[in-house]
Amino acid sequence: MAMMANVLEQYVNNVTTLSQQGNFSQLCEFIGKSADVLAKNANHLDNVMGAFDVQQHSLGVLGILCIKYSLPNIADWEMLFIQTQEFIYTCNGEQVRYATDSYADLCHRFTQNLVEKKQAIRGIKILTKAISKIQLLPSQLTSIHADLCQLCLLSKCMKPALPFLQVDITEISKEGGQYDAKHFLLYYYYGGMIYTALKKYDLALYFYEVAVTTPCLAVSHIMLESYKKYIVVSLIVHGKIISLPKYTSHVVGKYIKSLCQPYHDLATSYSTSNPTELRNTLSKHTAVFTRDSNMGLVKQCVTSLYKKNIQRLTKTFLTLSLTDMANRVQLSNAREAEKYVLRMIEDGEIYATINQKDGMVRFHDNPEMYNNVAMLMKLDTEMQKCIQLDEKLKEMDREISVNPQFVQKSSGVHDEDLPGSSGPVTVKVPVGYTM
Amino acid sequence: MQVDAVPEENENVEEEFHIIENTTLDLETYATQYKGLAKLYRLTYIADHCPPLRVEALRMALAYVMTTYNTNLYQQINKKLQEALTSQSMLPDAIAGVVHNVPALDTQWIETTAKKAALKLEKLDTDLKNYKSNSIKESIRRGHDDLGDHYLDCGDLSNALKCYSRARDYCTSAKHVVNMCLNVIKVSVYLQNWSHVISYVNKAEATPHITEQTGKDSALAVTTKLKCAAGLAELTTSKYKSAARYFLLTNFDHCDFPNLISPNNVATYGALCALASFNRQELQKNVIASSSFKLFLELEPQLRDIIHQFYESKYASCLKLLKEIKDNLMLDLYLAPHVGTLYTQIRNRALCQYFSPYLSADMTKMASAFNTTVAALEEELMQLILDGQINARIDSHNKILYAKDVDQRSATYAKSLAMGEDFQRRTKALILRSAMLKNQIHVKSPPRDGSTGSEMSIAPASTASSRI
Repeated sequence: MAMMANVLEQYVNNVTTLSQQGNFSQLCEFIGKSADVLAKNANHLDNVMGAFDVQQHSLGVLGILCIKYSLPNIADWEMLFIQTQEFIYTCNGEQVRYATDSYADLCHRFTQNLVEKKQAIRGIKILTKAISKIQLLPSQLTSIHADLCQLCLLSKCMKPALPFLQVDITEISKEGGQYDAKHFLLYYYYGGMIYTALKKYDLALYFYEVAVTTPCLAVSHIMLESYKKYIVVSLIVHGKIISLPKYTSHVVGKYIKSLCQPYHDLATSYSTSNPTELRNTLSKHTAVFTRDSNMGLVKQCVTSLYKKNIQRLTKTFLTLSLTDMANRVQLSNAREAEKYVLRMIEDGEIYATINQKDGMVRFHDNPEMYNNVAMLMKLDTEMQKCIQLDEKLKEMDREISVNPQFVQKSSGVHDEDLPGSSGPVTVKVPVGYTM
Repeated sequence: MQVDAVPEENENVEEEFHIIENTTLDLETYATQYKGLAKLYRLTYIADHCPPLRVEALRMALAYVMTTYNTNLYQQINKKLQEALTSQSMLPDAIAGVVHNVPALDTQWIETTAKKAALKLEKLDTDLKNYKSNSIKESIRRGHDDLGDHYLDCGDLSNALKCYSRARDYCTSAKHVVNMCLNVIKVSVYLQNWSHVISYVNKAEATPHITEQTGKDSALAVTTKLKCAAGLAELTTSKYKSAARYFLLTNFDHCDFPNLISPNNVATYGALCALASFNRQELQKNVIASSSFKLFLELEPQLRDIIHQFYESKYASCLKLLKEIKDNLMLDLYLAPHVGTLYTQIRNRALCQYFSPYLSADMTKMASAFNTTVAALEEELMQLILDGQINARIDSHNKILYAKDVDQRSATYAKSLAMGEDFQRRTKALILRSAMLKNQIHVKSPPRDGSTGSEMSIAPASTASSRI
C-alpha cells in the first residue's frame, strides 16, 4: 500500500515539476509510461486528480481521465462526466496541444459513452468547446468533428454542428499520427447527413462527394453508404447522377458502384421522368432501401420528380389548366396539382399564379432583373469569395514551389543518398506546429 | 390522317422486323442499278421485308448468283425461294414445285462451281507464291488483289479483306494506295464495318497527288466514290449532317459504282439527310442551288418536289409526299433503320421553320398546316421546347404559341453566378484534397493479422451502430 502511494506521489510530483519547468514534451513521455501504474491504482485516481490544478497541470489531468475511460467499467459515470466537462472547459490549450492524440482519444471515448447511454445531447456543448480549444485555426479539421456531428445527429439537434460544417477545411490535424481516414470519412458522411436532414441538399451533395472521392485502396463501408446517399441526393438536386470528379479512386467504379445496383435502377427510372416507373422501382427495392435506412430519402426523391416535371412545364407553357397539369405530371387530380404548385411558389421554386376561378395556372418568368442593390451586393460577395479562393490557391502554389523536396524533384537532381528522397510522391509541406 | 404518328409506330416495329405491303418499286429497274454482292444483298433485303415482291426478288437474285462463284449464297437464296413459294400456295410441295416452277437445288452446278473456284484459288495461290519467290513488288500486289477479287466472288468477305489489306505493303505509288483503299472500302461496306470505311476513306484522301498522278476523269471518279462510301458510313452511324455533306460533294458524271451505290441512292440519301440536318440557308446554297446535285435530283423527281416544297414552306404537301415515298425508302438496305429518325427530324425542322418568323402563332392554324390536331401539336411543340429547338412557350388556355423573349442580360448574370458557385465548389474541393494528400489520408485494407488496431480504416461496426 505504501509503495502504491509512493508511485502515485511520484506521478504527482513529476507532473508538477515538469509543468512548472514548462518541459511538456518530456511530461507527455512520462505520462505515457505511467499508464500501467495508474491503471493498477484505479481506486485512488480521484485523489490524485484532486492534487492537480486543471489549468496548470492539464496534461496530468488528461492522463488520468484517459485511464479512467479505458477501465473496463466506469464506476461513477456522472462523476466522470462532470470531471470531463470541467477539464474541457478549463484546461490549458497550450498544454493539451502537446498531447492531441490523448485529447482526441478522450473525446472519442466520452462520445462513445454518451452514445451508449443515449445521452447524446449532453455532450454537444462540451465537444464544441473541445474542438475550438484544440484547433490551431478555425479551418483545421480534427477527429473530434466527427464525434460532434454524430452527437448532433443522434440528438436530432443539428444547429450546433453548422458553424463547423460551414467552415471550409484547409488543414487537417495530425493528432500524433492517430488521425485516420475513418475520422475523415465519418465527418463528411455525418456532415452530409446533417445537411440532408436540414434539406440543404446542395451542401449535402458536396459532403458526400468528398467522402466518396477520398483516396482509397479498399472498399470502405462509410464510402459505400455515402455513395448511396450521394446518388439519391444528386437525383433530388439535379435530377440525374452527377458524375464524380476525375480523381475519384478506381475502387469506387470497380467495386462500390456494383454494390449499389438498386440505387442505379432508381436513377434510371428517374431519368424517364415517369413517376409510375419510379414508384415501381421503389417498391421493387423497398427492402434494400429500408435496410439502408434510406427509405425516407428515396421518398423525397419521388416528390422531387413531381416538382421537376412541374418545373419542366413552366419552361414550355405560359398558361395551363390544373387538370391538364395533373394529367401531364401524373398527379391524381387538380387539387393535388394545386397543392404542389402552391408549395413550389412559396418555396420560390417556380414563378406562377393560380387563378382559382377558371382553374388555370399562369407561369411567369423569373422576376429577378439583376438590377437592384441586393443583387449587386450578392454578386460582389460572390466575387470576393472567388478572389479569396484564388489567393489561397496562389499561396498554396508558392508554398509548394519553395518546398526543398519539390525543388529537388522538379530540377531533375535525383540524389538517391539523400534521406527522404525515397519517400512517397506526395509533396510534404514543412509542418511548423508539430508537437 | 396523322403523319406524325407514323414514324413512332414504325420505329417500334423496326426494332424487330418491318413488313412493307404497298410499294411502287419497280424491281426490274431497281435491280439493274446494282452489281455484285450489292445487288444480291439488296434483293434479299427486299425479299425479307416485302412479301408481294418476295418471289420476284428471289428469282432475280438466284439468276444473278449463278453467274458468280458464291455457292453458299446460292443455297441460301434457293432455300428462301422454295420456302416463299410453298408458304404462298396451299398445294403440297411436289405439285407446287411443278405449278410454280420452283427451281430445284442444282447440286451439279454447286459442285462444278466449287471445283472451278478451288482450281482458280489454287492457281492464284501458286502464282502469288511464284511472285513472292521472285520478289517483284508489283506482281505480288496484283497477286494479292486478284486473290482478293476471287474471294469476294466466292462471298468469302473476311479472306477478301485480308488479301486486299496485305497488298498494302507492296504499294509503290499513290495510285496503288488509293486502289488498295478502294478495295478495302468495298469489302468493309459489305461487312458493314463502317469505322473501317471511314478510316480508309481518310487514308485515301490523305494520299498525296491523287489528281496529278491519275487522269482528271478517273480522279473525279475516285473522289466521288470515296465521298459516297464516307456518306454511307456516316448515314449508317446516324451522323446525318456530315453524310449530307459527303453526298453533296459527289459528281454526277462519275457516279457509276454499281457494286456500291446507285446515283438514285445518292440522291435519296443526300436529299433526306440534307432536309433533316440543314438550315434554310444551307439548303438553298448547297442543295437547291447546287448544279451538280440537281442532276441527281432529276433521278428522283418526288424528292426534288419535296425539297422545293419544304423550302417554299408548303409543309402539309411536303409531309404528304414524304409519307407517300416512305414505303419505298423502307425497302432500302441502308436507309430503312434511319427513316423514322430522319422523318421526325425533318418534321421538327419544319415546325421550327414555320414558327421562326412569328412572335406569336395560332396553334389551330399551325395544326392545319401540319395535318395534325392541336393536342398532338402541343405535345410535339413541348418536346421541341424542352430540347431547346424552339424558343417559345405555349399558352394552353388560348392555344397560342408565343416566342420567348430572352433577356440576355439576366441570362448572363444568372450564368455567371452559377459559374462562380461552381468555381468555388471545385476550388474548395481541391484545397481540401490537397490537405487530404498532405496528411496521406486514404482508405487501406485492414492488416491481415489485425496486429495493429489503430491502422483499421474500414469501420463497418462503428457506422452501423452510429447510424440514426
